[in-house]
Amino acid sequence: MMNMFRSGLNVCCLALGKRLSSTFAGESALPSNLLIPPNLVEVQRRLRPLPTDSVPVLHKCEAEIARHLRPRQAWLESLRSRGEDQLGVVELHPDVFAVHPRIDILHAVEVWQRNFKRISHAKVKSRAEVSGGGKKPWAQKGSGRARHGSIRSPLWRGGGISHGPRGPTSYYYMLPMKVRVMGLKVALTSKLAQDYLHVVDNLEMPTPDPEFLLDIVRHRQWGESVLFVDANEAFPENLLQAAAGLKMVNVLPAIGLNVHSMLKHESLVLTLDAVKFLEKKLLWHDSRFTPLYPFRLPYSDFP
Amino acid sequence: MSASKTTGGKAIDILRNLPRISLANLRPNPGARKTERRRGRGAHGGNKSGRGHKGERQRGNRPRLGFEGGQTPFYLAIPKYGYNEGHSLRPQYQPLSLRRLQYLIDLGRVDTSQPIDLTQLVNGRGVTVQPLKRDYGVHLVEEGADIFSAKINIEVQRATEGAVAAIERNGGVITTGFYDFRSLTILCKPVPFFLSGQPIPKRMLPGEDMVRYYTGAENRGYLSDPEEVERARQELAQKYGYVLPDISKDELFHMLSMRKDCRQIFFGLAPGWVVNMAERKILKPTDEKLLRYYGS
Repeated sequence: MMNMFRSGLNVCCLALGKRLSSTFAGESALPSNLLIPPNLVEVQRRLRPLPTDSVPVLHKCEAEIARHLRPRQAWLESLRSRGEDQLGVVELHPDVFAVHPRIDILHAVEVWQRNFKRISHAKVKSRAEVSGGGKKPWAQKGSGRARHGSIRSPLWRGGGISHGPRGPTSYYYMLPMKVRVMGLKVALTSKLAQDYLHVVDNLEMPTPDPEFLLDIVRHRQWGESVLFVDANEAFPENLLQAAAGLKMVNVLPAIGLNVHSMLKHESLVLTLDAVKFLEKKLLWHDSRFTPLYPFRLPYSDFP
Repeated sequence: MSASKTTGGKAIDILRNLPRISLANLRPNPGARKTERRRGRGAHGGNKSGRGHKGERQRGNRPRLGFEGGQTPFYLAIPKYGYNEGHSLRPQYQPLSLRRLQYLIDLGRVDTSQPIDLTQLVNGRGVTVQPLKRDYGVHLVEEGADIFSAKINIEVQRATEGAVAAIERNGGVITTGFYDFRSLTILCKPVPFFLSGQPIPKRMLPGEDMVRYYTGAENRGYLSDPEEVERARQELAQKYGYVLPDISKDELFHMLSMRKDCRQIFFGLAPGWVVNMAERKILKPTDEKLLRYYGS
């Protein structure tokens, strides 16, 4: 399997390598232990020019940024027409959108999301629960057959299972709150770093036509699947109707944002309100006190 | 390669050129998941399965913990002595050094413009008091008295003489007050108590063993005579060799002279009141019997 991946590396290196042409000349930025599956499809996306100083900055970060960091910038787009995709630039807080890309934390949070809700209902009967088997089948000595105490012991056909799954088992566990918060930050960072994050001023659409939405997605090369996130649950009707029939386009309120959804969809589209909401909620955990009582009870500084 | 000064800078630059992070690309860090050694399986878990060779060890018939083959075991040979007798009835106090207090004040976790209470200390996460573990409050200790320089109105449950001297030398006011278990729990975690909808109880007076402490002026007890306290302040200033600053001429005199009533738990809230946090209202009792009870 390792050989398969390494040979794939030489083939796919061409496609990935094209993205390197604008970066460092003498050194290959691909790590040597990279595993690339041979069936990887790299869709070439045309590179957008990075925003320069003459572009208006439409939104600055509300929270303070540490002096050694600089905010990240993203284009502000709109869903009103297919051409309105460079209205200005918004600044994104580096402590939310440019943290260390901890893939292991992403993995841990993804596994947690899958498993903490899992209750496996598998149950088999043990020798005590299988019907019958209370009487000794034949006398201990004299019959010439092996000695047995019950016809439902695990040795017997039709007998109980000695070490089977016992009853509903819960796989519930909670990762520390800060790890889950970090997972969200790392997911947002990786989306921004790999150009899959888009910021939109609001989700207003001129028509409820799904084709219009798909046209925008295809024209702006957002990818195959898109996740629209807004701060509150009241979404514009046009967007809800357009996305209702589409399998690859989904709409989510910001409180429901989670690592699994972000990784499942290729592109993430946040509204400006959602960006403000996420920054406020996620940055609070960086400088909060340890809880005295659960956070569901009121705190004076809870965002 | 130039070092990026941003958090995760280099890693994010590398990430830009890698395939999209998706559900198919996730894996834990190498070496994070180690397969466990299962008993009864394979060359290293199998054979005797970690049970040893013959004897009670392999056959699972070892005697009880502490058995020494018939010799009088250690836990019976040593005579009993009441080291821990009554440990659950002994009051404990969480120590708070003046050094830690100065640290909290410097970082802004404790506000000096208001009287400092156990609630303020706990809110600033300066101390952790566990009333269920027989904690009766906070003990102010003079470690760091030489660097302490803040004028505060503080109320603790116990204080050493040196700590009292250090506070008063800087023009502050210190009082010691008694909180019984229920009042202490409410004082440390007021929000869950207010959400329970119960009226604020009146603080109980100290028991026999503690009355002496809290009526003594040297300890600045809340039940002591104010004139005796003034005399004790002068004596302490003479003993430790500092000039006692006159508080009455201070601009913060009103704040420094704020003291709780002997039955009051919170400043500004009297016993018997119910605090409704959802509607931001306070309900006060009007029935005569209740008023008589809570007023006593």
